Amino acid sequence: MNKRISQFVGAVLLCIGLASCSSDGEKIAQLHSEEDIVGLTVATAAGSCYDLELSKRSDIDLLLFNKEADLLNSLLTGQSDVIVHDETVFNSEIRRDYGIKIAFKGEQEFPTAIMFRKDREGEQLALAMNTVQNKLLENGTMQTLKEFWLTDAYLDNRTYRHIPVETEGKVLRVVCITNMAPISFMIGDEWYGFEIDLIRALSSYLHRPLEINLYDASGMIALRNGMADLLVGGMFVTPERQEEFCFSNPYHNFHPAYYVLDKEAQTVASAGFWERFKSSLQKNLIEESRWKYITSGLLETLKITLFAILLGSVLGVGICAMTRSRRKWLRNIAGFYNWFMAGIPILVLLLILFYAVFARSGLHPATVAIIAFALDFAAGAGDIYNSSLDSVPHGQTEGGLALGFTRLQTFFHIVFPQALNHGLPLYQSLCISLLKGTSIVGYIAIQDLTRAGDLIRSRTFDPFIPLLVITVLYFVLAWLLAVLLKLAMPKQKKL
Amino acid sequence: MITVNHLSKTYRNPDGTSLTVLKDINCEINAGEVVSIIGPSGTGKSTFLRALNLLDPPTGGEILYNGENILAKGYPVHKLRQKMGMVFQSFNLFEHMTVLENIMYAPVKILKKSKEEAREEALSLLRKVGLSERADAYPSMLSGGQKQRVAIARCLAMNPEVILFDEPTSALDPTMVGEVLSVMRQLARDGMTMLIVTHEMKFARDVSTRIFFMNGGYIHEDGTPQQIFENPKRSATKEFTQRIRRVVFEVGDHFDLPGMFTTMTRFCIKNNIPQFCERVEKLGELMVTDIMAAYRPMTVRINYKEIADEASLDFMVEGLDHSPLEAASKEKIQPLCREIIEEPTTRGFRVKLLL
Repeated sequence: MNKRISQFVGAVLLCIGLASCSSDGEKIAQLHSEEDIVGLTVATAAGSCYDLELSKRSDIDLLLFNKEADLLNSLLTGQSDVIVHDETVFNSEIRRDYGIKIAFKGEQEFPTAIMFRKDREGEQLALAMNTVQNKLLENGTMQTLKEFWLTDAYLDNRTYRHIPVETEGKVLRVVCITNMAPISFMIGDEWYGFEIDLIRALSSYLHRPLEINLYDASGMIALRNGMADLLVGGMFVTPERQEEFCFSNPYHNFHPAYYVLDKEAQTVASAGFWERFKSSLQKNLIEESRWKYITSGLLETLKITLFAILLGSVLGVGICAMTRSRRKWLRNIAGFYNWFMAGIPILVLLLILFYAVFARSGLHPATVAIIAFALDFAAGAGDIYNSSLDSVPHGQTEGGLALGFTRLQTFFHIVFPQALNHGLPLYQSLCISLLKGTSIVGYIAIQDLTRAGDLIRSRTFDPFIPLLVITVLYFVLAWLLAVLLKLAMPKQKKL
Repeated sequence: MITVNHLSKTYRNPDGTSLTVLKDINCEINAGEVVSIIGPSGTGKSTFLRALNLLDPPTGGEILYNGENILAKGYPVHKLRQKMGMVFQSFNLFEHMTVLENIMYAPVKILKKSKEEAREEALSLLRKVGLSERADAYPSMLSGGQKQRVAIARCLAMNPEVILFDEPTSALDPTMVGEVLSVMRQLARDGMTMLIVTHEMKFARDVSTRIFFMNGGYIHEDGTPQQIFENPKRSATKEFTQRIRRVVFEVGDHFDLPGMFTTMTRFCIKNNIPQFCERVEKLGELMVTDIMAAYRPMTVRINYKEIADEASLDFMVEGLDHSPLEAASKEKIQPLCREIIEEPTTRGFRVKLLL
C-alpha cells in the first residue's frame, strides 16, 4: 500500500518537474515575432482581445488570468514563458523591478476608444466626445497627452493633472473597468490617466461633472442597463462590441506586447528577503497612501456585514415565524424561500439584484449588497431560530403555562433563553461566514477589503503583501465580530 | 370548587379521521378533597386532567371553577392556572435555572414578590420537600425523584388552591417513587386539594378521599377508596382493581433458568416490590433445582395482587396427587416465605409460597 502511494507521489512530482522544465531558455531569448512563440506557454488576460486572437492558435499552450498581477506572477514563477498584454500595462518601472522585458510588439493594431450606450443619448455623447477629441487634436493637447501618458514620461513627472473638470450640473456617470496606469487609475479617491484626461475634457465641454465608479468586466452590463453614461478603461473597438455599443473615434491604436523574463536584468528579487519585504511594504502600503484603500475597504466590509446581519436577523424572525405558522400557505412560502436561497449562489443573487432588480432604482451598490446578504442570511438565521426553538422540549412551554405565565411570557422568559443556548454558536458561525462571503461585493463596484487588495495589486503587481494584509484583517474582523456578538447577547448560564 | 358538566374532547387528525378521548365527563370536586383518577391506559385520565387547566382545551361541555365558566371566551386562562398548579410526569423543570430560581421565578415575575421574600419562601419549600441542600444545583444534576420534588415545591410556591398531578411517578425509577409519594402524602395531610392521575394503587387507596375509575372516556365509577377497591359496584372496576398480575413459566428438562430469574426480577421491579427480588430468586432456585427437581416438567408462576400487596410463587405439577414437599425441605423453605400452602388442583398438585 505504502509503495503504491510513494509511486503515485513520485509520478506527480515527475509531472510537475517536466512541466516546469518545459520552458526553453534559448528559444525565449530569440523571440522576434508571433511565429516564434510556437510550442511555448503563453498567458494573457481572460476575455480580452488577446484571448480571442491567441485562442485561435493551436500551436501554443494558452493560460488565462483575470488579474494582471496574476498574469505577471505566472511569468515570474515560470508557469508561462510569454505573456501578452497592452504595451502600456507593464511600464518601464515595473519591467525593471520585476526583471521582465518586451520581446517584441505584435503586428496587429487595436484601435481604442471611449464606449457609450447604443441609444440616442449615447450617440449624442459619442458625438460630443468626437468634437472634444478633434479640438484636442487641433490645439495640440492630444499630442502632449500622448507624449506624457503613453511614453512612460508620467513616471518621471508626477503632476498628473492636465485638463480642468466641471464641478456643477447633471452628473456624467462613468464606469471604469481598469485601475491601471496609464489609461485610468486611482490614487486615493482621485482618478488619473489618459482616458480620464479625455473625459475630463468632455466634462468641461458638456458642463457636467464626473462620477467615476470602478467595476470589473461586468461594467459593460452596467453601461447597457443605463446605470452609467459612458465606459472607460482602454476598450478596444471590435465589431462585436460595435453591435452592442457605440464608440467615439479611436484616440490611439495599441499593439499587443509580448513580455518575457529579462535574464540579464538586476531585479529587486536579487535583494535579501527583509530588504524585499520592506520595499514591498513600502510600495504596497505607504506609496501613494495605498493603506487608505485598506482602511476604507475594511470599513466598507464591516458596514455591509453588520447591516446585513441586523437586517437578516430581523427577516430571519419572519421566516422562522412563517415556518412555524399554522397556516399552510405561509409555511409553503417560507419553504420556497429557504429552497430558493439554498439553491442560488450568493454571487448570482448579488448580480441579479444589482444588474436586474435594482438596476434603475439608483440604490447605492452597498445597499444592494446589504439587501442581498441579508436575504441570504435570513434563510440561514430562520433555520437556526427554528431548530433552536425545536431544541427546547415542549414540556418547558407547558411548565411555564401551568405556572400561570401567558404564552408570550413563557416564550420570552423560558423558551427563548434556552433556545439561545442552542442557537448562539450556530448564529455566530453564520455571521462569520457572512463576513467572509462579503468578499465578492467587488463584483458590483464596491471597494471592500478584498477589492482594496486587488486595487493595490493592480497597481503594484505584488502577488503577496496585499493578500497577506487583507487575510490578517479578515481574521481580525472575524474576531471582532465574535466579541461584538458576545457583548450583544445576554449573559449565558452554564448548564 | 370544580364542577365539570358533559365534558368531551375529540382530536381531529390531519387525515380527516377523529378520535374521541373524553366522551361525557361529569363530576364535582370540593375543596380539601384528594381525588385519585385510576383506570386502564388510554382511557383519557391525563387528557381529563389537562383539560381542567386548559393545556388540552376540551371540545365540548363546561368547566366551572368557583362558579365561573373557564371555557367562556376571554376568560383569563393564565390567572386560572396560577390557582391551579400542575405537576407533570416529565417534571418540566426549567433547565436553564437553578433549583432555587425554578421555584422563585413565577412568584417574582407573576406575583411580583420581592426577590428576598421569594427566596425565603423557596428555601422553606425546599426544606419541606427535603432538598434545601440542592438549592443551587441545576435540574440536570438531580435524580428523577429529586426533580419531581422540586417540581412540587415550584408548584407550591404559587400558593395554588388545587394541584393536578399527571402521573407524577410514572417516569421514575422504582427506587425513587417512595420519596415523591411521601411528599404528596404530606401535602394531602396538610389539606391541599389534589387531583392525581396515578398507577400507584396502594398510594391511591391510602391517601385519597375519593377515587374516579375511568374507562372508555367516562368516569365509570366514582366512590370512596373502600368502595372502589373492596366493593366495586361495576364489573369493569372490579376487574381492574382486583386484577392479579402474573408471569407463567413452563419448566422442562432443558430450561433457561437464569432467563426465568431475570424475568422475575423485572416483574418485581415493575410492580414496585423490589424487596422480594432476592427471595424470589433463592426460592425459585431451591425449588426448581433441588427440592422439586425430580418433578419436572412443572409450571412455575409468580403472582402479585396489587391492592392486597400480596406476592406469591406457585409450583404446579400435573397428575400428582400428593405433596412433593418433605419435612426436611419445608424447613429449608420456611425462613424464606410467610406461608406454605399445599393443595391439590383439578389437574394435579400445587405448592403455593406466600412471600
